[in-house]
Amino acid sequence: MRALPVILALLLGGVAAAGERLAVGPAEFVSVLPTGTTASAVHVERFLMDSHPVTNADYLAFVAAHPQWRRGSVATLFADGDYLSHWASAETLGASARPDRPVTRVSWYAARAYCKASGARLPSWYEWELAAAADEAIPDARRDANWRARILDWYAQPFSHELPAVGSGPANFYGLHDLHGMVWEWVEDFDALIVSGDSREQGDPDKLKFCGAGALSLRDRENYAVLMRVAFLSSLEARSTAHSLGFRCVAGAPP
Amino acid sequence: MSPWARIGTLLVATAALAAPLRSQEPATPVVAPVAQAQPLPGDSLYQLDIALQGADGAAFRLAELRGRPLLVTMFYSHCAAVCPMLTAQVQRLFGSLPAAERAPLRVLMVSFDSALDTPQALREFRAEHHIADANWITARAEAADVRTLAAALGIQYRELPDHTFNHSTVISVADPEGTVRARTSELNGPAPAFVAAVREQLATRPLRP
Repeated sequence: MRALPVILALLLGGVAAAGERLAVGPAEFVSVLPTGTTASAVHVERFLMDSHPVTNADYLAFVAAHPQWRRGSVATLFADGDYLSHWASAETLGASARPDRPVTRVSWYAARAYCKASGARLPSWYEWELAAAADEAIPDARRDANWRARILDWYAQPFSHELPAVGSGPANFYGLHDLHGMVWEWVEDFDALIVSGDSREQGDPDKLKFCGAGALSLRDRENYAVLMRVAFLSSLEARSTAHSLGFRCVAGAPP
Repeated sequence: MSPWARIGTLLVATAALAAPLRSQEPATPVVAPVAQAQPLPGDSLYQLDIALQGADGAAFRLAELRGRPLLVTMFYSHCAAVCPMLTAQVQRLFGSLPAAERAPLRVLMVSFDSALDTPQALREFRAEHHIADANWITARAEAADVRTLAAALGIQYRELPDHTFNHSTVISVADPEGTVRARTSELNGPAPAFVAAVREQLATRPLRP
């Protein structure tokens, strides 16, 4: 009996998910994150990104092959108590987790293990931000007020409704779907974004907690949608899970 | 078996014979120490599969440190800002414990800087800060493992284009099974609650059947 859900998952995974990995970059990219020195761009090497977030079907196949990542088996260091809690069971998706929906309630450790098992890795923040700066027509639409407003609309909507099927949003310049408008997505360096209070005073005792803390403040304050991502990711622990938090993988040499 | 695993095995084995000055005890060959035969707690740092390299160049796994209390933090050796204070604070914490009491305690400082903190750089760092105690381990790891460990320790860091690192400073104490029991970000002064938590771990005997 245990084989059946696995076979189904593999079948569904092959059809509904697998997706493609599409090329992004290389690019010189001005991130919302400060570089700490001057306002120069960062260089992002070419990488291949999953065309849409990892689905429940994909992830089911992964836990079937790697039982240490099953709900109920995973070490508490690696995932909090809500890990995959909307699945019907450790190896059954059920009505609340349809195969073609993005897998959510997965921790950073779990997302990382999934990507590693598929010969890939999580994107870095710069990679994710670069890919997500594109609209349908151009690679960097961040100056487009309409585009910004469209993305912000999504953030304004509550997450109570069921998540849409992956790939249901329009493809962007690179052919990637759902970077906005679907779920938050883990990045490898989620804990490296370090959002801290702007305009720190000299002598602020908090400053001692950080090395080079003077460099910490975000640029491009008008790009609220991306800043919200940074703030959200920075609020997480590596074992955190959330209903609206999924991931996708990339291939290519690590930055 | 690596040197660390061997040392850990010997120490756990001798600890089971309940002698406070374990390092003076003769090595007792025991096939599998009881403490390591038991399943790891789910929240243990030793759940992490992390490859480290010490200042002597020897490779070891984080999990080989299982069996003794651990004071653990992260740094990088060419850090000019907070790290010297962090190192001084660890020295203060370590030095505040009487030698006999701290004998079971290990200190582990892992570098953020996979590229520049070679074993040679770590040795220079040790010399510069007069770190001679063999129980005080300075180590490096590959970038992905650095990120994994930092995440588990709740340490945020980011490499900047000038190859410095923005990072938070957190010192954690883990019990012999790897569960973090206390954390401090205090760098300047005494951290009495944290020291108390460390001493509590030092008073804890390894699990017995």
